[in-house]
Formats: sequence, C-alpha cells, structure tokens
Amino acid sequence: MGDFFTVELLTAVLRTATPLLFAALGGLLSERSGVMNIALEGFMLLGAFTAVAGTYYLHDPFLGLLCGALAAAAGAAIHAVWCISLRADQIVAGIALNLLGAGIPIFLMQRLWEQAGRTPSVEKLPMIASGVSILVPVAFLLVPVVWYLLERTKPGLRIQAAGEHPQAAESVGIRVSGYRYACVIASGVLAGIGGAFLSIGDLSLFTRDMTQGRGFIALAAVIFGNWNPLGTLAATLLFAGAQAFQVQAQAAGVGISADLLLALPYLLTLIAITGLVRHSRPPAGLGRHPTVD
Amino acid sequence: MTIVPAGQLRLSRRRFSALAALAPLAAAMPVGGRIAMAQDSLVCTMVTDTVGLGDQNFNDLANNGGTDAARDFGITWRVVESQDASAYVPNLVAGAEQGDLTVAVGALLTDALAEVAPQFPDDWFLLIDSVVDQPNVQSVTFREQESAFLVGVAAGMFTKTGTIGIVGGMRIPPVIRYEVGFKAGVLAVRPDANFSIAYADSFTDPAKGKELAVAQFNQGADIVLPIAGLTGVGCYEAVKERNRLGEEWVIGADVTQDHLAPGFELCVARKGVDVAVYEGCRQLAEGTFEGGIHDLGLKESGVDFQDPNDRVPEEIKGYVRAYKQMILDGALVVPTTDEEFETFSQNLPPLATPIAAEATPAATPGA
Repeated sequence: MGDFFTVELLTAVLRTATPLLFAALGGLLSERSGVMNIALEGFMLLGAFTAVAGTYYLHDPFLGLLCGALAAAAGAAIHAVWCISLRADQIVAGIALNLLGAGIPIFLMQRLWEQAGRTPSVEKLPMIASGVSILVPVAFLLVPVVWYLLERTKPGLRIQAAGEHPQAAESVGIRVSGYRYACVIASGVLAGIGGAFLSIGDLSLFTRDMTQGRGFIALAAVIFGNWNPLGTLAATLLFAGAQAFQVQAQAAGVGISADLLLALPYLLTLIAITGLVRHSRPPAGLGRHPTVD
Repeated sequence: MTIVPAGQLRLSRRRFSALAALAPLAAAMPVGGRIAMAQDSLVCTMVTDTVGLGDQNFNDLANNGGTDAARDFGITWRVVESQDASAYVPNLVAGAEQGDLTVAVGALLTDALAEVAPQFPDDWFLLIDSVVDQPNVQSVTFREQESAFLVGVAAGMFTKTGTIGIVGGMRIPPVIRYEVGFKAGVLAVRPDANFSIAYADSFTDPAKGKELAVAQFNQGADIVLPIAGLTGVGCYEAVKERNRLGEEWVIGADVTQDHLAPGFELCVARKGVDVAVYEGCRQLAEGTFEGGIHDLGLKESGVDFQDPNDRVPEEIKGYVRAYKQMILDGALVVPTTDEEFETFSQNLPPLATPIAAEATPAATPGA
C-alpha cells in the first residue's frame, strides 16, 4: 500500500471534486435564496455541450467556457422565471430543465455534426500541472468567496433573509425576487462551468449524458453540507475521495470485489447521511414565495 | 425496472396501432412511394439505436456495409434514426411496411423487434448483436473473444512493463467475452503478465473512463484496452493527455478510433458489423436470405485482428497469424466465461510457432 496514496491519487480527488464543487456552490446559492434547484444536472449538460460548440466555432477554449456559462445561465433564467415570477412547482420546473438539458445537446449535435453520440474533439483549457486543469484551483478558491459573500456582505445577508423568511424580507424592503433571480442565474453559471470543466477542462469533447448524475451528487453535497459552503466543500471532497479511491483500488487490484468498490461512494454517502443528516436545517423559506397567495 | 419498460411498451403499442391503422390507407394511395420503389429495386431500411449515425462504431459500420451493398447489388439503402427508445417500434414498422429488409442495429432493439417481427411475417429482418427467435429474423452475433484473443497476443508480446489495463463499461456478456478472450491471448504469450481491470459501471461516462485509464497507466500499465462504448473515449483522452507516444498505448475495440488520440492506438479487435449487413443485403438481392442465428467469428471474417497503421512489429504479427490459424483449425478454443478462462489459464497452450507473412496471405490484417 506504500505507493497507493500518491500525488496521483490526490490530483484524481481534486479532478473528481471540481465539477461537483462548481455545481454544488451554484446549487447552494440558489437554495440559500429560497429557490429549490434540482436542475443542476441539466445546467451542467448545457454548459458542457455549449462550451465544446463555442470552442469549435470560436477556436478558443476560454470563449467556449464563456459560451457554456452563458448557455447554462439562460437555462437557469428559464428556471427563475418559472419558479419566481410564474410560481411554478419548483421540482417540476427542475425536472423539465433536466430533460431540456439532456435533449438539447443531442438535437444540436445531430444538426451541427450529424451525429448524436458525441462531438468532434476540440482544444482544451490549459493545464497548470500534470492532469490539473486551470479550473481546478478556481473551484476551490470559490469556496471562501461564496462563504464571504453570504456571511460577511450586505447582499449576502439579504440573500439569506430571502431564503429564511421571504415575507419578512419583503416587508423591510428587500427585493426578494431580484436576489432570487440573481442567485438562480448564478447557479446556472457555476453549474455550467462545472459541466464545461468535464468537456473542455478534463476531456476535449462532449458525449451525450456525460455528466452521469454529477448534478444530483452536487445537490446531495449541498444538503449533506448543511447549506454551508465549507460543509459543502467537505461533502464534495468525501464523494470525490470515495470515487477516486474506488478508481485507484480497482486499477491497483487490491483484491476487493469490483462490485463492492463501485458501490463504495454510495455506501459512504448512506452512512454519512444517516449519521449526520438529522442535524441538517434547510433554509426555512425554501420553495416559499414572499407574498401569500 | 419494470415500470419504465412497461410504460414504453404501452406507448409503443399505441403508436404501433395508430400506424397500423394508417397502413391500408397508405397502400391504397395511387402514387405511394412504396409502390414505386418496390418496382424499381429492393429496399433495405436500417433502424439505428439511440446513439445514431456518427457514433463511429456500430451504427456507422452498419451504414457502411449497407451503402456498399447498395452500390454492389443495386438495392435502395435507407437509414431511419431513433431519437429515443420509444421510436424503435414505429421505425421498425415503417421499415417493414416500406421495404423488403429491415436492419435493426444493436441489442437495444431486441425487445422492439420481438414485438414487430411477428406482425410482418412476409418481411425480412436482420438483427445485429442479439437474438430474436422468429422465422423471418436473421440474428447475427459475434465471437468477440476470438479477435480479442489476437489483440491480446499482440499486447502480451508488445508490452514492456508486463502490466496491461482493461477498462470495461459494465460486466455484461459481450464485454466479458472481450475481457476473458483478451486476457487469454495475453497469457498465451506472456504467462507472467499482470492485469489491471477496472469497470466504470457506465457506457456513457468518458470522464470516469479517463480516470480509470490514468490510474492504470500510473500503476505501470503500458497498454489499455477499453471495452466501454463512450466511456472508452475517456481512455483515448487519457493516453492523449499523458502524451507518452511510443510508451503508452490503447487498443481499439470493434473499430479503429485512432483519430481520438492519433498515434496511440496499437491495433484493433475488429468487429464486422458492416460485413454482417453487407452479407444480409447480398442474400436478399440473391434471394437466399433466411431467418436463423448466425454466429460470426474469425472463420466467417465476422471479427479479425487489424493493424490499420502498421504499428505492430512484423515478428509479433507472425505470432498473431499463428494463433489465428490455431483458432481457425479448431486447435485452440478461446474462453468466453470466467470459468473457462480459469481452466485455460491453468493449462496454457505451448507458445505457437510464428507464421511468416507469405505463408498465409489470407491472414494479412486489414483485409
């Protein structure tokens, strides 16, 4: 086991955590402002696909990243309109956006490249070290930024007020809808960047459904992290660590059944949630509107 | 698990009956394209699975075979893409109503074809990679283990580190056949080889495929065989990013994907989906098409060892030819299950005597 816990395992954990962390921080902002967001998966897919399409046509992965973030932000704007202005059921709206996020890339791949399965390969974002994309440190730096924003700034406290007690916030003159719009769209931007990390940070192409549930794992990390940026970071690292350990253990052939190893991240999640989740406290105003109907 | 397919089935039945109700109408129309085309030439319709054309694998191979057949036998070749699983039944029905042979590409269409085929007893169907036991269905399966064995021989001879990686999608029978055939081929020429075997539990997670391949290369593997669909794309991404040209390699499964990581693909275990479709069209054109199960291996040129970029040294190819000959002669039976592999690895056959290129021109790869 001497060469098992290596620097390669550490970089694998960071790589695996990065897309989860981007999406989770986005989901955290949205939920702290009081809007449920199960559409992270769809936003990630939109971001991942559009980042590749943008890079393909604009020949610059940074412009592609921008395109991915904007496309996911547009998807999030739809979620915001439905959930905030039209007061749609937030779960149903999220499901609709997840379906859109899965379907639109397939439709467009068919149109642009006449193949529904995957895009051509494009240029990747630069690496800062072997196997470490430039987006990896960005994701981790965002954790204190989001924490500071929420806990130490005036807009952050207003976001919390909108999420905890929208009627009270509204009654003292806080524009709850405005803060919620901003947070939901920010969740789209962040989840979109998380998706773009998969397609042009880690890999160099988009394949259908390539996020494979990472948006939902990110949402689980938000809940498991008790809607707190540092807790969410810890949850993300736990999930990513279990995943990277599982990969490493399979490749090293440690003599544990592959089925058990594949189940390990989910088992760990179950154990952690049964042990910890009773302490969790969602924002009190989650899913509630500022005025009584 | 049971709720979703049942729902799809109900939906597809409804669609099917709607289509069936329209069928006499369409037939009664005087200038129906169906009638005009039936007079001109035989019509073959290929129905894709949901991945569709451009997968650079199954669907594209089948389309190549059909296009070649159309050119050679003067049949009309058409492709209908299935956007989702609920489109399988209506697409197969449309193919059967408007043509003479409907080609269902991939095991995903098995259930849909089992439903449609009995409704059209006078039409022919060709199913790739799965079996539907109906008199009007020709089911084609492949002995993937035989070509996997040959690329295993090449890998076992070629490896410098003695460690070889396998990245699987899910451990389902075709993948197991690939895995055990490959391992048997490696051990036949290199009994002390180590394997690093990892499964992603998904055929559509290239990021995980990349992580698995990276971990295997870090464990000292210098050759990785992905058997994992789109997950396997990640293995090509891994070898490309590590960029150790000439030191770390991947092996292609089914078809070459060297364009994903140019220069890094050692050789290919070819699966002749195109050959199967071409043959089906030929039989249709010659009036010899019939139902039944066709199991294609090296002997039928259904699978083969392929070195499209000539990267395997000639002396290793000599061994590949020798083992190919042994399989063709029946002197060597490649294992297909874990139990058979266990038996095989305990009584490894003696190292074969290499066969020079001139001796068996038929064995030249890339044929």
